[in-house]
Amino acid sequence: MTGRSVHVLDADLGGGRLLAALALTALLLAAFAIPAGATVSAAGGKDPAHAVTSQLICPCSCGEILSGCTCETGKSMQGYVTDELKKGKGKDEITASLVAKYGEVIRGAPKAEGFNLIVWVAPFVATAIGLLIAALVLKRWVGRRHPAGAGALAPAGHGPMTTAEQDLADLRSRAEAELERLRE
Amino acid sequence: MSEIGKLSLFLAFLCSCYAVGAFVVGLRTGMAGPLKSGRRAVWAVCGLTLLATILLVRALVARDFSYRYVAEHTSLDLPVMYAFSSLWAGQEGSLLLWLLILSAYGAAFLWCYRKRLDPFYDAVAMVVACVMIFFTSLLSFVSSPFRILATPPPDGNGLNPLLQDPGMMIHPPILYTGYVGFIIPFAFGIAVLIMNRTGTRWIEEVRRWTLFNWMFLGFGILLGARWAYIELGWGGYWGWDPVENASLMPWLVGTAFLHSVMIEQRRGMLKTWNIVLIVLTFELSIFGTFLTRSGVLTSVHSFAESDIGPWFMGFILISATIATALILYRKALLESENRMDAVVSREGSFLFNNVLFVALTFATFLGTTFPVLSEAVTGTKISVSAPFFNRVNVPIALALLLLTGIGPVLSWKRATASFMKRNFIIPIFVGVVATLVSIPFGLHGVYPAVCVFGAAFVISCVVMEFARGVQARKDVEAPVNPAALVHLVQKNKRRYGGYIVHLGVVMIFVGVLGSSVFQKEAHAPLQPGQSMAIGPYALTLDKVEDTQIQNATQTRAHVQVSRNGKRLTDMHPAKAMYTKSQQPMTEVALQSTAAEDLYLILGGVNEDGSASIQAYINPLVAFVWMGGVVMVIGTIICLADRMRLKREEKLLA
Repeated sequence: MTGRSVHVLDADLGGGRLLAALALTALLLAAFAIPAGATVSAAGGKDPAHAVTSQLICPCSCGEILSGCTCETGKSMQGYVTDELKKGKGKDEITASLVAKYGEVIRGAPKAEGFNLIVWVAPFVATAIGLLIAALVLKRWVGRRHPAGAGALAPAGHGPMTTAEQDLADLRSRAEAELERLRE
Repeated sequence: MSEIGKLSLFLAFLCSCYAVGAFVVGLRTGMAGPLKSGRRAVWAVCGLTLLATILLVRALVARDFSYRYVAEHTSLDLPVMYAFSSLWAGQEGSLLLWLLILSAYGAAFLWCYRKRLDPFYDAVAMVVACVMIFFTSLLSFVSSPFRILATPPPDGNGLNPLLQDPGMMIHPPILYTGYVGFIIPFAFGIAVLIMNRTGTRWIEEVRRWTLFNWMFLGFGILLGARWAYIELGWGGYWGWDPVENASLMPWLVGTAFLHSVMIEQRRGMLKTWNIVLIVLTFELSIFGTFLTRSGVLTSVHSFAESDIGPWFMGFILISATIATALILYRKALLESENRMDAVVSREGSFLFNNVLFVALTFATFLGTTFPVLSEAVTGTKISVSAPFFNRVNVPIALALLLLTGIGPVLSWKRATASFMKRNFIIPIFVGVVATLVSIPFGLHGVYPAVCVFGAAFVISCVVMEFARGVQARKDVEAPVNPAALVHLVQKNKRRYGGYIVHLGVVMIFVGVLGSSVFQKEAHAPLQPGQSMAIGPYALTLDKVEDTQIQNATQTRAHVQVSRNGKRLTDMHPAKAMYTKSQQPMTEVALQSTAAEDLYLILGGVNEDGSASIQAYINPLVAFVWMGGVVMVIGTIICLADRMRLKREEKLLA
């Protein structure tokens, strides 16, 4: 813990770059997460109809995902999907026919187009912006020089905090707390 | 009796107003009398609310249908325990429970700090009293549980069958204890701003209160998931329902705060950020209640929709505006000497963790509210449900899982390359091996692989931390002491309690992974004597019979279960038709082990007499519940640290 390594990973700019790279990763994840066209994905190892029904909402007012819905409407819809698959219809085709009948509300997640693109992109953009801000803030904070006197809670140092330093910080904190109590 | 109930709530309203007035006078003039009087008024609110609650419970248990609330939520055939729990089945009762817990927190706060004469604590109590005004006024003037019917009906409407579950006896009070409890950290934060308070002591106190509420909210969320698993009968336990999301959001922000507060304690940094997180946690708690009550979004958990949504929205806007204005006004107070030694350090990782927690909250918030926004803009109704959240939230959650292992191992201030190598090589190796070993067992996809890697990585990191600690104690306490592990935890409860919480988190991730990725499903119509297979199990329908339970008719299937040819047990999935509501309810049959759950649902009885049996094998789902218990144990250990400090303080005094 106290040893000084020549391969210090914590160089100011290096850390900033690290977080910038992570922000970029967040944006790439967005591309990975956004469904391309249809919202149907494979659900391996389960009932073939599950791949369709797990992406749809029961059209009655129960609001449940169709694959797990136990209401009468849900069960009849599950049966419909199974029958259509047996007839050889594709998953996208079945989904499209149900959307045509019940509207976009039946999709468990909106298509990534038009205004609804926002809901797919915004979380990742926000994450990326958050990480970039964190990177910039950290870069600024790391760049600040320590004053001669250490802070009340954490003595300045250039190595990792040793046990003794941690104990000292703890004792300072306790002493401060006790002084405050005495003042009361 | 109803008049006494109404009066007690009205008096509680007056006492809340008086308490705020007395605290304001006391704080402005510095006179002790008004402050003392304000404290007593807070106690009075607690007593009056307790009286009102007792009166309503008495009416519910006695089925006094002259009360509108009783007639709407109970019936003569309702078991007594559910008559009691119908206190929180409807809006008025839920609000009363809110107020009861809120006033109990106010009283508990005053009790905890009864020996402190610092007016700062009166400012905290004043903020609590302000929130009390909101709830007492709602219960007195907008949504009274003591409304009387001109002509009482001979019987009531009965309780929603979904709520007739033992889990519902404890889930809402525990959840509310967490939700409502965030008032105390919020009040501390606002009081700091009002009183222009410097120093760090309050932040430790806020941390403890937050930890306590966070534990209850987290446990309440898991109890809700358990209820959904057993009662909703869809084979799962978390559906990213709006009300589920509403409870998750304050928990996520609270978790972010519990991490960032450590940076403030250690380094005196992030003061503004921490106050923002405190305020956000509280506002999201109120927002959760707004979502549940307003009916703006469809939810399987929403049982008490009404028109009081705008009141809550108004309260959120006002309280958030005041908090924001105070933060801006006291900007100078919150300025801190932000300085770090290195990005790769524990504080750096906590900052990163905070960004991800807030991003996860934002994604959840956006997804939950987007249907309303989209319909307003495009005019088309859309749904944003599990398929969206599984794609967007899961990667962020997995990044957080990895940080769960990395953060606590990094040293404060600076982690060197040799330090990283020493601490992370083995966990990375274990993670890679675990992932490779899982592939032949059917692991597929990037996210499940990352989850397995992350879980193994975090467990290794935590185990290594414990091992290092035990070794250090052995060095001190030679000869080898088998109880070194216990001593280790006892000596640093906060640190090792935190590690135990992290282990609980990993267990939940493992449970979620197992029960979602490796879930097996089968369904078939069975005539008596016929069998179906799922995994190693053979399910044979013995018979289907109708039985009468207290307030419902139950159609019950008798299913013989064999595993690998050996007779295992009998299971009885059922469908109940409740007499009052004529609503069919699924009664799940469950055979649980640590490895997997066999989960049977009776879909119904078909015209040809066959029973539709739906079966799931949910591997590792028990880890979700056990993980919750481990998290609670870890949190209690963290909280126990304070008890030790208190004992030491007393000895010193």
